[in-house]
Amino acid sequence: MVFTSLNFLIFFPAIVLIYFLLPKKVRWIFLLIASYYFYINIKPIYAVLLAGVTLTTYVFARLIDKTKSERKKRQLLIADIIITLLPLFFFKYFNFVNEGIYALLNFSGLHLSLPKISLLLPVGISFYTFMALGYIIDVYNEEVKAEKNIGIVALFLSFFPVVLSGPIERATNMFHQFKANIQLNTAMVVKGLQLMLWGYFMKLALADRISIYIDAVFNNADQHVGSSLLLATLMQPIRVYADLGGYSLIAIGCAKVMGIDVTPNFNRPFFSTTMSEFWRRWHMSLIKWLTDYIYTPLAFSLRKYGILGIVIALNLTFIISGAWHGAALCFIIWGALQGLILSIEALTWKRKETFEKKFNLKSKWWYILWGCVFTYLLFAFSLSFGGDSQSVPKVLNILYRIFTDSNHLPYKDGDTMLYSFIAFAVLLIKDFMEEYYQGRILLFNNKNVTIRWLSYYFVIFLIFYLGIFSGEQFVYFQF
Amino acid sequence: MEKTEIVNKLTPLFRNIFSDNSLEISDELSALEVENWDSLSHMLLIAEVEKNFGIKFKLKDLNKMANVGEMISIISSKL
Repeated sequence: MVFTSLNFLIFFPAIVLIYFLLPKKVRWIFLLIASYYFYINIKPIYAVLLAGVTLTTYVFARLIDKTKSERKKRQLLIADIIITLLPLFFFKYFNFVNEGIYALLNFSGLHLSLPKISLLLPVGISFYTFMALGYIIDVYNEEVKAEKNIGIVALFLSFFPVVLSGPIERATNMFHQFKANIQLNTAMVVKGLQLMLWGYFMKLALADRISIYIDAVFNNADQHVGSSLLLATLMQPIRVYADLGGYSLIAIGCAKVMGIDVTPNFNRPFFSTTMSEFWRRWHMSLIKWLTDYIYTPLAFSLRKYGILGIVIALNLTFIISGAWHGAALCFIIWGALQGLILSIEALTWKRKETFEKKFNLKSKWWYILWGCVFTYLLFAFSLSFGGDSQSVPKVLNILYRIFTDSNHLPYKDGDTMLYSFIAFAVLLIKDFMEEYYQGRILLFNNKNVTIRWLSYYFVIFLIFYLGIFSGEQFVYFQF
Repeated sequence: MEKTEIVNKLTPLFRNIFSDNSLEISDELSALEVENWDSLSHMLLIAEVEKNFGIKFKLKDLNKMANVGEMISIISSKL
């Protein structure tokens, strides 16, 4: 069941109604049943895997908590990490590794045929696996006590708003909320519905609309001129922001309606003036996870090498992030590019800062605008490797043609371009107002009820006027 | 070592790492209030503190450092 399906529009209000009618003590049980129902609805067999990861996580967390010896704790942690990662590796990386081995054998003169399994990645596996690992590492680090109630752990890993594509949550944020006696809070319900409305706008009116152009170009890249490829490349970050950002807002909004706070995932990323800032505003829950569980231990173990150690840790983290996004060389290059750009920024920021202070550049609007545009361009071009065209020669060919074959007018799809432009302009204006005029111009939160409702109707109108209702999937379901 | 001594020794390290010559440190100060205090400069700071105080942190200590006050108490527990 996806958020944009008709089923969900029936499922969600029904769940909320029953949730608040039930006595507070049993609400978490109901949420757990609802979450499994939601997940089973996609493919029942996948739920077995989710339950398996849950049981492993629960048992190992309890064992780590009870064990006194540091050495044994560590062994238990490593064993749990391996077991938890096995399904992810099997489903995501089996064919990738297999092809690698095959190529190596072939190269060394052995011509063997290896089994190739056609597997469909169980939806959400990358997300709940990361959440499970985060929890067990937190238990090991004594950040959180091992939960005695397996139901709470099961709910944490299957909670329906976030199970399919995040935000990647933490046990420290969720456990106490699941156990708390949550009151029906009108302000939270309203806030949740507002977030959902905006999320649907981002997904239906922008992401799915702009995808028509991007897919038309990239699915037949050979037939398009460089300027079309350039335009589609420049549209790609908007699509991913509207898609995953929209999805995240619907998820966060759903949880909020039920009185549960979920961590934010995006913070107006296109107003970042450097790539380091961009990565603090883009897919924040994943970056926080990678920072806490991959980057920090790595950088800590390499800290005696100073900035060099940090740069190595940074690059390894982003290469892992690339591999998490997909088992393909392209994604690894995408990760490596992020690492490279961030390393350059880390090595030069002091000099840049001195320069900026000398000419008081940080307060100049044109300098800020240049920073935003440059960061956007860097991300858009690096995203060529993280987009749909997943083979390196294909991406390189696209990039080559962008720079050599852009003297023709781009492919024109008038309606799609106009509708996408309107939707993007609305999104950009909203983000701009929140970035620079926070609290000064209020629409959804205006005290005047007429302005508030006019704003809601305006967004609903935009969704129906600009939106695509063919039940498109969310981009991040494939991860 | 007295707390004021630790603060006096920490201040130049902070100022140098975060490139801010007027930075004053207090117990409540955290990464949120200091520009340039991110996960990268934080690790440089950790390495500098270890070198200057002749101590070694554990990875677990890092998770407990939510602000400067907590960092100071971890440093003093190791001196």
